[in-house]
Amino acid sequence: MDINGTQLQIGYGGAPVVEELSIQVRPGVITSIIGPNGSGKSTVLKALTRLLSYQHGTICVDGRDLRSFGAKEFARIVGVLPQMHSAPPDFQVKELVGYGRVPHQKWYAKNSDEDKRIIDWALKATGIWHLREKCINECSGGECQRVWIATVLAQQPEILFLDEPTTYLDISHQMEMMQLVKKLNRENRIGVVMVLHDLSQALEVSDWIVVIKDGKKYDEGVPEDVITPKMMKEVYDVDCDILRVPGRQKPLIAYRELA
Amino acid sequence: MKPKRETKVSALRVGTIWLILLAVLTVLAVVAINVGSAKYSVRQIINAVLSDEKSTAKIIVMNLRMPRLLLACMIGASLSSSGAILQSVMRNPLADPGTIGVSAGAGTAATTILLLFPQLTGSVPLFAFGGAALACFLIYSMAWKGGVDPVRIILSGVAVNSVLGAYNALLQMMHTDSLEGVLAFMNGSLSGRNWTHVRVCLIYSGIGLVLSFLCIKGANILQLGDEMAKSLGINVSRTRILLSAVSAFLAAATVSVAGMIGFVGLVVPHIARILVGSDYKHLLPTSMLLGADVLLLADTIGRTAVKGMEIPVGIVMSVVGGPFFLYMLRKKGKVSGH
Repeated sequence: MDINGTQLQIGYGGAPVVEELSIQVRPGVITSIIGPNGSGKSTVLKALTRLLSYQHGTICVDGRDLRSFGAKEFARIVGVLPQMHSAPPDFQVKELVGYGRVPHQKWYAKNSDEDKRIIDWALKATGIWHLREKCINECSGGECQRVWIATVLAQQPEILFLDEPTTYLDISHQMEMMQLVKKLNRENRIGVVMVLHDLSQALEVSDWIVVIKDGKKYDEGVPEDVITPKMMKEVYDVDCDILRVPGRQKPLIAYRELA
Repeated sequence: MKPKRETKVSALRVGTIWLILLAVLTVLAVVAINVGSAKYSVRQIINAVLSDEKSTAKIIVMNLRMPRLLLACMIGASLSSSGAILQSVMRNPLADPGTIGVSAGAGTAATTILLLFPQLTGSVPLFAFGGAALACFLIYSMAWKGGVDPVRIILSGVAVNSVLGAYNALLQMMHTDSLEGVLAFMNGSLSGRNWTHVRVCLIYSGIGLVLSFLCIKGANILQLGDEMAKSLGINVSRTRILLSAVSAFLAAATVSVAGMIGFVGLVVPHIARILVGSDYKHLLPTSMLLGADVLLLADTIGRTAVKGMEIPVGIVMSVVGGPFFLYMLRKKGKVSGH
């Protein structure tokens, strides 16, 4: 399944936040959207996932207009983890993950055996099987984020959209999260689209990177081609070198030392 | 994440709590039938009710205390259920049909009918529902700004409440001759209610309570946040409207038989949440049972606390509920679970 946005103009009522932006989401690939604060990354992600309507342009899912999809129909093929989410602190982990089955159920239905099997699978795939009986507020921040990923995974999506999945996590949980994303992508062939702030992570985990600046697409391509000193200067106004280190596949970003 | 443990309540615990609440309700019911200006022993009451004679005891018990008891239970359950649903719709533990003006909407519509169009008195519940729904819509449209901000909801609720209050005051000033019924109405009272009221309440509250059970899944999913609910394929706006309508309907049902009783929908679901957690599958029935307990207790206290005088149940609830509301405002951050 692929999602194609062409010539998109997106806004929240006032001046458009995103203009003339085209973006392609390919199946089975990890795509990262990067850019400075307020550049419109999350806006693009919301438009691609029906959370926000767009004013101009088209978005097609496998050639079919996004607007022709029903809410549940779309939720069965695309999972979204928004930046803002909350759960009552006393909800049980497996219960919360169970809500991922909602798009596949009638509004009055209870979890079937099939649903339970998929919930168990999602719990195991995200490594939180041992937490299933716990309550949300017994989980740490990193565990909590994995619970949410499991919830979205229980939708059995073909593509997973994650809006800044590592923000607010400490470095070890950030690495864990990236490892999980990579594992889900490689083992289950799930396409992933992420908004990321950490460029080192984007470089490390992505197959494809889209750079957005001031609501327009600045560049896109494979990480090594996109993340360059020139881009860093022009988009982020940051000086850096891109270093090759023996024994590492991907290069490193070395930021200029502070004065 | 808070380190405090908040373990999942088991089905056994929920069941036990329901049984306890039922037992308390039974005890309260026996007390409510017994106490009052005329006191009877349980044996006297049973004898009087079972005998064919029209004794004073039988009339007092069957025509005065019994309908009042049933109304208190139904209204308590309805208001609590209404409040619990409103809290999920507005994502705010402080939402209550009384405090944010939904009941005032129903009350305004009802007083308008009673004072200006007395020939329509029979359809007061329907007009009350219209008023409640309109108030709900008003609060919503004022608080909406790319999403619902809990604080803005309370503020616009206060605004709606005071505008409706002004209208009501004006209406009363212009119709001072027929004020007595209206005043009792505004204070929320069960005094002098009879079997006709019970029938009206049974129909409307009954429908509302059944409908509220259909709200469980929607109410649960709304607790996950708007964007999450949307991305799970839920039509968030439609769910909100449907749930608000059920809540407004329940509030209107109570207002049209007993007037405005505040804080029940605030206090009861809050305690229920502490007892059984946030899952509406448990929260809603617990709120209903506890609501029946609380309102029956409040009415019995109001009826018997001061000799020779009756304090309307609405006033009793306000005396208890006002301070409770302030207490919750202070610890709001903890309640909403963010």
